[in-house]
Amino acid sequence: MNRIAIILIGFIVLLGISGAFYTVKEYDQVIITQFGKPVGDPITTPGLKFKIPFVQKVNRFEKRFLEWDGDPNQLPTKDKRFIWVDTYARWRITDPLLFFQRLRDERGAQTRLDDILDGETRNAIAKYDVLEVVRSTNREAQRTESEAEDEVTLSTIEAGRGDIRDEILRIAQSRTGDLGIEILDIQFKRINYVEEVQRKVYERMIAERKRIADRFRSEGEGEASRIYGEKERELLRIQSGAYKTAEEIKGHADASATGIYAAAYDRSPAAREFYEFLMTMESYEATIDKGTTLVLSTDADFYKYLKRSQ
Amino acid sequence: MNQQGFDDGPQGPEIRLPKPNFKLIRNVAIVVVALIIGLSAFYQVEPEETALVLRFGRYIRSSEPGLHLKLPFGIESVEKVQVQRQKKEEFGFRTVKAGGRSQYATRQYASEANMLSGDLNAAVVEWVIQYRIIDPYKFSFRVRNPEATFRAMSEAVMRSVVGDRTVNEVLTVGRAEVASVVQVELQERCEQYEIGIKVDQVVLQDVNPPDPVKPSFNEVNEAQQEREKLINQAQSEYNKVIPRALGEAQQTIQEAEGYALKRVNRARGDSARFVAFFEEFRKAPEVTRKRIYLETMAKVLPQVEGKIIVDEDLRSVLPLLNLNSTSTEGGQR
Repeated sequence: MNRIAIILIGFIVLLGISGAFYTVKEYDQVIITQFGKPVGDPITTPGLKFKIPFVQKVNRFEKRFLEWDGDPNQLPTKDKRFIWVDTYARWRITDPLLFFQRLRDERGAQTRLDDILDGETRNAIAKYDVLEVVRSTNREAQRTESEAEDEVTLSTIEAGRGDIRDEILRIAQSRTGDLGIEILDIQFKRINYVEEVQRKVYERMIAERKRIADRFRSEGEGEASRIYGEKERELLRIQSGAYKTAEEIKGHADASATGIYAAAYDRSPAAREFYEFLMTMESYEATIDKGTTLVLSTDADFYKYLKRSQ
Repeated sequence: MNQQGFDDGPQGPEIRLPKPNFKLIRNVAIVVVALIIGLSAFYQVEPEETALVLRFGRYIRSSEPGLHLKLPFGIESVEKVQVQRQKKEEFGFRTVKAGGRSQYATRQYASEANMLSGDLNAAVVEWVIQYRIIDPYKFSFRVRNPEATFRAMSEAVMRSVVGDRTVNEVLTVGRAEVASVVQVELQERCEQYEIGIKVDQVVLQDVNPPDPVKPSFNEVNEAQQEREKLINQAQSEYNKVIPRALGEAQQTIQEAEGYALKRVNRARGDSARFVAFFEEFRKAPEVTRKRIYLETMAKVLPQVEGKIIVDEDLRSVLPLLNLNSTSTEGGQR
C-alpha cells in the first residue's frame, strides 16, 4: 500500500514540478496569465523559470522579427495607371502585454497589419505618378549606343520609391504605436503593370526599338555616302594634281630644250644659216624616194659640170 | 535489506516477487538510462557548421566543429548553423541539374524576374546572390524564417536598383554597376534587419527584354551590325582606290620627269653636236658646204626613178609633164 502511495505521490509531485517549471527560449517572451489575466511583467530573458503549477499559464510570444506579406493588389496611381503592387514588411512584438491585450495573438496581428499596411500603401500610391513609385533617385542614365546624342531617357522625380516607402512606414508606425508592436521595415517587393497597360508598354517599346534600328541604318548609309564622296574627291584631287605637276615638268623641260637649241642654232647669223642648210640636206635624204619625180635644170649645182668642166 | 531489497516484516518474509525480474529490470533500466545519457550527451558539429548550445533555452556557448559533450535529457539543446558554407539564392530561375551542363527552369519563376525600369520599360532579370551566415546567433534568434526574409529583401533591392535605370543600361553597359549597387544596399538592409548574413556577391545572369519585345531588340542589334557593314564597305572601297591612285599619280609624275630628262639631254646632245660641227664648218666653210651637198645628192638621186634634166636655156621643149608615168622618155638613168 505504502509503495503504491509513494509512487502516486511521487507521480503527482513530478507533475507538479513539471507544471512549475518552464523554459523561455532565446526568441521567446512570455506572459504569465492566472485565470486568463496577465500577472507580473513580461519575461524576456531566456532560461529556466518557475510558475505556480495548474493555476498559472504560460503564453509565449515571439521576440524575433516576424513576417508580413501583403497580397499583390492592383492599385491606381495619381496619373490613373493601375499597377500591381506586392509589399512585404517585418515587425516585432515590443510590448507583449499590450500585444496580448490588444491583438491577442499573431493571427490578430496579421489581420490588423493587413488593414493598416494595405490601406496606407493604397493611400500613398494614389498620391503619386507611376514614375515616382518606380524611380528612387534622379541619377543620370549612362548613355548607350541606342540613345541619340541628346536624348533624354530618365525623367526626373520629386519623391521617389524610397520617400514613398518612408511615408508608408511612418504612418503605419504611428498607427501601431498602441498595439505593442513595432514595424521594422516595409518594402515594395514587386511592382508591375496590369495586363492592358503592359500590352501598351510593349507596343511602345517595340516602336521605340524600330526607331532606333532605323536610326542606325540611316547613320550607316549616311556615313557610307560621306566616305564614297570623299573617295571621289580625293581621287580627282590626286589625279588632277598629278596631271598639273606632270605638265609643268614637261613644259619646263620643253622650255629648257628650246633654250638650249636656240643657244646653239641661234647664236649667230652664220649658225642660223648653217643650221638651215644642214636640216634641208637631211630632209632631202628623208623625203626624196623612188616615187618622187624631179625636174632639174643643168643650172643645179650637182649637174653644172655637165655643161662645163669648171 | 535482504537480497531482493525488501524489508522483512515483523511477521517474517513478505510477499516476494520473482527474484530475477527486479534485477533484470534494474539492469535494463541502467542500460537504458546510460543509452539515453550517451545519445543526448554527445553531439557532432560538421566542419562547415557552428553549434549554438542552449541550456533551458538560453544561449550558453558556441561549439566549433568536432565531437562535443552537453548536458543530457534535453537540459541542453543544440542548434546547428552552417557558417562556412557559401550559400546561394537564385531569382528568376532555378538550377534543375547542376554539373558540367547545368539545366535551368525559368518559366514558373517569371514573376520573380519581371520588373520595371526607370524609363518605364520592362525587363526580365535573372540573378544569383551568394552569401554566408556570419553571425549564427543573429541568424537563428533575431529573425524568424531568415531565408524567406532574405529573399524578400533581395527582390525588393534589385527592383529598386533596376527601377532607377534605363532598360538599355540594365541590358548592356550598366550590368556590373547594378550588381555592385545591389550588393551594397542589400548588405545595409541585412545590418538593419540584424539577420547575420554577409552578401558575398551578386551576379546578374540572363538579362533580357520581355519575350514579346525581343524580336525588335534583336532587330536593333542587326541594324547596328548593318551600319558597321555599310561603313566598312565604304571604307574598304576607299582604301582600295585611293592608294592605287596615289601610285598612279607618282607614276605620271615620274614619266613626266623622264620625258623632261630625255628632252633636255637630247637638246644638249643635239646642240653639242651642232656646235662642234659648226666650229669645224667655220674653219673651212666652202669645202664643207660643197661636200655635204654632194654627199646628200649622191645618196638621194640614185633612188629617184623619175629624173628629168633640162637645160636652162632650152626653149623649144614644151614643158609637158606626164604625171602618170614614172618611167623616163629620153631621160637619163
